[in-house]
Amino acid sequence: MKIAINVLQALALILGGPLVRGIVARVKAFLQRRQGASIWRPYSDLAKLFRKEDLVPPTASSIFRVVPFVLFGTTICVASFVPLVQPSALLASRGDFFLFVYLLAMGRFFLSLGGFDGGSSFGGMGASREALVSSLAEAPFLLSLVAVAILASHADIAGMVAWTMQQNIFNISAVHILAFTSLAMVVIAETGRMPVDNPTTHLELTMIHEGMVLEYSGPRLALIEWASAVKLHAMLALLVALFVPWGMASSVSVGAIGLALILYCAKAAPLMVLLAVIESGMAKLRMYLVPDFLGVASAVSALAVIFTILVKR
Amino acid sequence: MGLVEIATGKVLSSFSVFLFLTILLLVVARRISTSVLLFSVQSAIIAAEVFATGFRERLAEAYVVGALILVIKVVAIPRAFFGLVDHLKTSHDVKASTTPTQSVFIAAAMIYLSYAAVHSYGQSVHVPEDALAASVALILTGAFLMVSRNKALMQMLGLLVLENGIFLAALTTTFGMPLVIEIGVFFDILIGLLLMGIFTFRIRDTFDHLDVSKLRRLRG
Repeated sequence: MKIAINVLQALALILGGPLVRGIVARVKAFLQRRQGASIWRPYSDLAKLFRKEDLVPPTASSIFRVVPFVLFGTTICVASFVPLVQPSALLASRGDFFLFVYLLAMGRFFLSLGGFDGGSSFGGMGASREALVSSLAEAPFLLSLVAVAILASHADIAGMVAWTMQQNIFNISAVHILAFTSLAMVVIAETGRMPVDNPTTHLELTMIHEGMVLEYSGPRLALIEWASAVKLHAMLALLVALFVPWGMASSVSVGAIGLALILYCAKAAPLMVLLAVIESGMAKLRMYLVPDFLGVASAVSALAVIFTILVKR
Repeated sequence: MGLVEIATGKVLSSFSVFLFLTILLLVVARRISTSVLLFSVQSAIIAAEVFATGFRERLAEAYVVGALILVIKVVAIPRAFFGLVDHLKTSHDVKASTTPTQSVFIAAAMIYLSYAAVHSYGQSVHVPEDALAASVALILTGAFLMVSRNKALMQMLGLLVLENGIFLAALTTTFGMPLVIEIGVFFDILIGLLLMGIFTFRIRDTFDHLDVSKLRRLRG
């Protein structure tokens, strides 16, 4: 029964990814006083792409063809690490948060390879920028998870979530606030959202994600887009699970699971609105300011790790 | 009633953490208006701590002081700042002499230093260590803002942050100073702000900018 729910919550993360994108886009449209597309639009986009012809550049090697599948596979693995409605996950006992971080990194690595292999100059530029951003984002990502892990004395994500659930909701510590701040900045950089990368355009010279996928088309492009939507959803769910897990089902019953699901939607909604507000309110950073942005995240996460000494004392 | 008491206890014990967050944001802020807003938020947090102390220790004076903070530091001073920024018609950049990354590392070091500084004191007298460390960190950050920002306006802001720190230190160790002294201090701040405002106008009129790092030569 527990495994069935774990499978279902991984499926919810994977299938709900495009919906998260649609909701964020809709809120953005509302903030900019546009009509905006329906929140189900990303699904029809994906369906359309899956039916289109798949074109591969004649100069591309086999890496180019494999990349979307590797990316989608690692993203599914990442999604099955994240608890959604109960403090356990499908792969929770198979690895700790290091595996989580580096599975994401592996997907990114292959996506940048695909960007280089496509042969267009934009692909190479996007890929080298992605390499810069992800290498800078790795330290704060790991450190903020380390801080929470030290507090919880657990290395796997489900264990951290279970520990946080037992704490008093009012007992916020400095560590949690600092780790949340730096992790939220990392999420913005990792998922290529606004101050770091503009997700809505492929006409800018400074594009990162869109630059890498410029040569992809048809089903392969659909897989990449789907994977990046799942990544966004998994990162949001990770934020919710690590920092506000209260309300997750501790027992396996239909009522508790249903309540946890409703509460999850209620907790994720403010994050999505916040993302849309940040995207509408901020201009994209110059490329040379991105290291500063992530440097701030690193300092905050280092401070979070240092503060665990004070809290645990 | 029980809920109010729990809430007060939580305000006292955990709000200083939010003060650390405002410190970190304050040293990375690149616009004057953002810094002023952060100062306003910071003062609001301190006002909440004043109200919580007043409720817990049954001090009627604390409510007056809290209301004074709300009126002066949360509303009046930020409004005056925004007015100054509008009238001076200078750029909105704070002109920091350290990069954001350096600033945030320095701020992190100062926060850790303040914990180390108050650790032994906090254990001998029974005062909340977080709040005391926050007050020391605010004093250090205020001084840091004053030396590392080149805009004259930011030095005023640094002084106000420093004053917030001194106020918080008084609040955590002795439950605030007597009301007369508090009113005197507030009056001091207002007069100081007025004088500094006049000074910034004079600097702007004489030198056509507010960059204090360029104030090297005498001018008639």
